[in-house]
Amino acid sequence: MRILSLGRLTLCLFAVGAGLSTAGVFAEERDANDPVAALAKLIDQRIDERIAAEKGVAARPADDGEFLRRVYLDIAGKTPTVADLRDFLADESPDKRHKVVEELLDGPSYITNFAHFWRSVMIPEADSNPEVRFLLPAFEAWLRQRIKDNVPYDKLVREILEMTVDPRQAANPFQPQSGVNALSFYQAKQLKPENLAASTARMFLGIRIECAQCHDHPFDEWKQEQFWGYAAFFAGLNREQGGVQGLVNSILETLGPTQLEIPGKNKKVTPTYFDGTAAQLGFRDSPRRILADWMVGQENPYFTRTLANRLWGHFFGLGIVHPIDDFTLENPPSHPELLDDLAKGFAAQGHDVKFLIRAITSTRVYQRSSRQTDPTQENGRLFAKMALKGLTPEQIFDSIAQATGFFEQFANRNPMMMDGNSPRAEFLQTFENSRDSVTETQTTILQALSMMNGKFVEDATSLDNSATLSAVIEFPLMTNADRIETLYLAALGRPPSADELRRMEDYVKTGGPTGDWKRALGDIFWALLNSSEFLFNR
Amino acid sequence: MSNSTSAHFPNLSRRDWLRLTACGTLGISQSGWLAALADETAKSPDRKRSCILLWMTGGPSQTDTFDLKPGHANGGEVKPIDTSVPGIQISEHLPLLAQQMKHCAIVRSMSTKEGDHARATYLMRTGYLPQGPVQFPTIGSVWSKELGKAESELPNFVSVAPFRFLSPGAFGPGFLGPRHAPLVVGDGQPGGNTDYEKSLQVKNLAVGKDVAASETDARLDLLSGLETDFLKRNPGVTASSHRAAYLAAVRMMRSEAVKAFELTDETDALRDAYGRNQFGQGCLLARRLVERGVPFVEVSLNGVPGGAGGLGWDTHQGNFEGVKSLCGVLDPAWSTLLKDLKERGLLDSTLVIWMGEFGRTPNINAMKGRDHFPNAWSTVLCGGGIRGGQVVGKTSDDGMKVDDRPVATSDLLATACLALGIDPMKQNMSNVGRPVRVADPEASPIHNVLA
Repeated sequence: MRILSLGRLTLCLFAVGAGLSTAGVFAEERDANDPVAALAKLIDQRIDERIAAEKGVAARPADDGEFLRRVYLDIAGKTPTVADLRDFLADESPDKRHKVVEELLDGPSYITNFAHFWRSVMIPEADSNPEVRFLLPAFEAWLRQRIKDNVPYDKLVREILEMTVDPRQAANPFQPQSGVNALSFYQAKQLKPENLAASTARMFLGIRIECAQCHDHPFDEWKQEQFWGYAAFFAGLNREQGGVQGLVNSILETLGPTQLEIPGKNKKVTPTYFDGTAAQLGFRDSPRRILADWMVGQENPYFTRTLANRLWGHFFGLGIVHPIDDFTLENPPSHPELLDDLAKGFAAQGHDVKFLIRAITSTRVYQRSSRQTDPTQENGRLFAKMALKGLTPEQIFDSIAQATGFFEQFANRNPMMMDGNSPRAEFLQTFENSRDSVTETQTTILQALSMMNGKFVEDATSLDNSATLSAVIEFPLMTNADRIETLYLAALGRPPSADELRRMEDYVKTGGPTGDWKRALGDIFWALLNSSEFLFNR
Repeated sequence: MSNSTSAHFPNLSRRDWLRLTACGTLGISQSGWLAALADETAKSPDRKRSCILLWMTGGPSQTDTFDLKPGHANGGEVKPIDTSVPGIQISEHLPLLAQQMKHCAIVRSMSTKEGDHARATYLMRTGYLPQGPVQFPTIGSVWSKELGKAESELPNFVSVAPFRFLSPGAFGPGFLGPRHAPLVVGDGQPGGNTDYEKSLQVKNLAVGKDVAASETDARLDLLSGLETDFLKRNPGVTASSHRAAYLAAVRMMRSEAVKAFELTDETDALRDAYGRNQFGQGCLLARRLVERGVPFVEVSLNGVPGGAGGLGWDTHQGNFEGVKSLCGVLDPAWSTLLKDLKERGLLDSTLVIWMGEFGRTPNINAMKGRDHFPNAWSTVLCGGGIRGGQVVGKTSDDGMKVDDRPVATSDLLATACLALGIDPMKQNMSNVGRPVRVADPEASPIHNVLA
């Protein structure tokens, strides 16, 4: 793994506000030899040039609290604890943002969060198909190993495309150590050439070619024959007829030049790249290996750009091409040169995903506030402010748990568990939203009712059951202002504004409708957990 | 700064918010007028139709319900009986429904190709087969979006006891988004649920018992302050949808209409007639919701209390006992629903659909069961927009194939759209940026069942 030399970075303090609320710290003068800094600089340049050209105004830099909560959610998939926050806010070193990114990338939560991320990209079927859900433990375990070792992205994709499909490697739900490999991917696609073609094209090339499965693509250049020509790379895989669905106890794979018939067309096609060139296959060649060579090769214009766009989309809520998997002529990138820069930089650094994460998170663009200061910022494709990204159901639950000190047995995290009555399962079911566009998540009535009146939040805000609340109340040396601030940090990852603090202090002083200052603090915590701000990564 | 929001979410001012939180404002002004309003909506020519979907989880046997084959070995032991419509016979297990046949059109020629629970459920409930990343919405979301009002007190789509496990995508709003998600009540677990009085209530509708009403108002007021500040900093749809959901939730919590869920308001005689079980009471709830203007309600029949414990109508073994006990729940509920709607002047404006994901094999297997069978099976359309008292299509004597007028899923759903007054060709933008029509454009609706 490549180690970044932090010492070579010259960082300068941009601005430091009073007290807890410090403004952003950026690497302004960077060593041109540091590829992370170089790419970050290029990103800032490209984005700012466009903002200027469109007569836009960029938002202010994100303050430390905003940055920390964001970078925790994006990299580690959860919010920081109050202690994390206080340490970070108190840290006066100029490169503390940089340091926290490194800490997070080295931590276990990065591994689980990104294993989940890649799993959602690669086997989205699991969200709607319970049969496929059985495959997840083994697949995510495999992903976690690869992410832990920071396996380069091209190697990861090669491993998936080239793996020997041997039924003896299949995951067995009753043997947790079995099947820690990518075979689940093939099982989830039912070993069908058309499914494997559609999903690999979408995942690795950003091409939604599945419409061309049945007819020429209505909105793009893809023709039905191209789809099946591409699918023919997977035509060597065959499951014996009559096998039990979902099980791969009887796979046959034919090597050498394969053929695939276009259904209903009485026409056979051989493995053909998207540019129309037929693949040259020897009799002992695996068509999938030949495809992998082309897929990750330098001539393929899609591979690295798709990855760069996907990661960009993860961190900014919107892709440079958006929707993320939809590279078509009709759907041009907002910043084509930038996408090329990202792709080139990524390839030059050995397809290192962490490199792109480091570069993206150190930009001014990423470290902008989500707070809108100018109408031009409403155009999300300008990236003049940070988009509000809705938390995933898992993030919401884990963040409430984090904020309130709720403890749940780890066993309930097992995707095989069908215990619909655990607080987490019930919560995830209520909050199960479309995951396709994080910037357009919406709240349902049942979600609102669950947050307002549900037992989980009720306990979190009751004096008897909430660890955070009781700690805040019982800690003897705290003033009401301290207490309110702690609740804000726990829920929103930021201290209250002066105006908010005044309002909340007044409320605690009067004790709310019950005249009890302790209950009044519970009311405030309730309001914070129910606020839009809590449900967004901002 | 502009106060721009999308057309769907009018910007809700602090005052709007406070109007809801101010003690009782809504409650007082609304008491008393509901019954009058229900009466009026039923008679208004502007009223769009409502839909009640009776969803038969697992796939019911057509041969033992609506397409009997007496005299053929495939017919099995169930006897046909006459109905109130001369010439139409149905199963002996549905004697009460037989008396309502003038409101019903039986489609005996469903022909759908999908024999797997997950795929067939997806097809029947969305109108489309799964296609890669496209998240098709369930018909309840699509239709209620067309029929409902944005600012109604109750959600436009209520789902009673859905069993979502086999095909979760087939029960959600898909690309239409959470605003069109169903409000779910009831327990969807198969085997029937005995604690239906509790499970048919809206979850989390009541505030915690430790929280005083004045405290709720105070909390909402605090929240309102936070939201106003946040929206000022971050104008846009995402944040205002949060606020809209809270407004809708509070509106419902404090509305008169939410009394729809208080089934104890009904007479014991009527509750008994529907059947004292989750499905029966769910049908009663459906009537109460439709009466209060909810445009789409679905009620799932997933099993029978104390029954075999299998998945609803999935009678791979012991088909005949299974069908008999399920019909024992279905028959009183469905027939009482039609009668009750009729007596309240609501039947002409309420379409009732009976269907599952597929039918079952006419031939009987070694375990006295029937297996999945999509080739030739039955569904039923009743009430609003439907010319009842007729049968569509015909299957062969052994029931193995459709002899006349095959009806595809899209044909059935497009027919229902027309009965409801929805344009089946209307488009919605999908999550992959491709427009998707309300019903498959290749559908050929069954025009002769339309009133």
